[in-house]
Amino acid sequence: MQSKFTDTELIARSIAGNQAAYADLIRRHQRYVFTLALRFAKNREDAEEIAQDCFVKAYRALSSFNGESKFSTWLYSIVYTTAMTHLRKKRVNTTSIDDEGTFIQLESQSAGLENNSAEQRSRSYYLNQAIEQLLPDDAMIITLFYKGEQSLEEIAQTMGLEANTVKVKLFRARQRLKERLERTLKHEVNELI
Amino acid sequence: MNEIEEKLWNYIDGNGTSEERRTIDMLIATDEVYKRKYNELLQLNAEFANMELDEPSMAFTYNVMETIRTENALKPLKAAINTRIIWGIGAFFIVTISALLVFVLSGINWNAGHGNSSLDLNLQVPHIENYMNGTVLKVFILFDIVLALFIGDGYLRKKLNSKQAQ
Repeated sequence: MQSKFTDTELIARSIAGNQAAYADLIRRHQRYVFTLALRFAKNREDAEEIAQDCFVKAYRALSSFNGESKFSTWLYSIVYTTAMTHLRKKRVNTTSIDDEGTFIQLESQSAGLENNSAEQRSRSYYLNQAIEQLLPDDAMIITLFYKGEQSLEEIAQTMGLEANTVKVKLFRARQRLKERLERTLKHEVNELI
Repeated sequence: MNEIEEKLWNYIDGNGTSEERRTIDMLIATDEVYKRKYNELLQLNAEFANMELDEPSMAFTYNVMETIRTENALKPLKAAINTRIIWGIGAFFIVTISALLVFVLSGINWNAGHGNSSLDLNLQVPHIENYMNGTVLKVFILFDIVLALFIGDGYLRKKLNSKQAQ
C-alpha cells in the first residue's frame, strides 16, 4: 500500500528516526530504482544488490538531501554512481547495438526467439529486448525520460552530463530502438507470411 | 530523413520555439512524408511511455530495512566506546594522578630546615607497600581485565568491519 505522505514528509519522518517512513519511501521508488539498476547489471541478482545498496546509501545520506531537486533525481544520481562502480568492479562485458559485431549477435538472438511463446512476442517484449542491447547510459536515459518523469536537465544533473549531450543521446537511443523494433517486427511479419 | 526525425522528436517532446512548432504543424498538415513520420514516431513514443517497470523480489524492502537496522545497532556501541568509556578512563587517570600529587605534597615537611642555609627538604617517601593490600590489588587487576576486554573488543570489531567491507 502506498503512503499518503509526500516524499518530503517521509524524508522528514525518516530523519527523525521513523523507519516505517523510510520503508514507505523504498516501496514508492523501488521499481524505478530496480529497473534502472537492471539497465546496468543485466541480471536480476546483481540489479537487486545495486538497488539495495542505493537505498542503504540514500538512508545514510538522507540528512544531506537539501530538497533543491526532486528526491527521485537525487536518488537516481545515487543509482547511477552505484551502478557505475558496480560495473567497474564486476567488469561486466556490456554489449552495445552501436557495435557491428552486436548486430550479428542480435540476428542470432532473433532467430532464437522463434521458440518463444506467442505471449512473449509482443512489442513490449521486443522493446525491452532492444533496450537491454543499448549502452547502459542510453538505456538509463530512455528509462529516466519515459518512466522516471525526469526532464532533460534533471537527467543531465543525475548523470553529470550537459543537457545537450543528454538530448543527443536520447535521440540516438530512440533511433536505435526504432531500427531494432523495425528489424525484429519485420522478421516476425515475414515469418507469419 | 534523420533531420526530419530530429525535428519531429523535438516537436513531440514539446521543445522548440512557438514559431518552430507552427512550422512543424504546417508541415505535418501538408507534407505526406512528415505526416507519416510523425504518426510513426508518435506511436513509438506511446510505446516507450507504456514500457513496464521491473519488479524486485518480495523481500526487497525487508532486506534493505534489515541492513539499515543492523548498521544502526552497531552505531550506539561505537558511540559509547568513543565518548563515555574513553572519557571515563581519562577521568580515572586524572583523579589518580591528582590524588597521588596531593598525597606526596602533603607528606612534605615544609618547615624542616628553617634558618638553615643548606637545602634540606626532609622529604618523607611514602611506604607504598602499606597501601598495596589485597583489595587494592584486586581492583587494579579487575580494571586491567576490563581494559584488556575493551581493547580486544575494539580490535575484533575493526577486523570484522574490514572483512565485511571486502
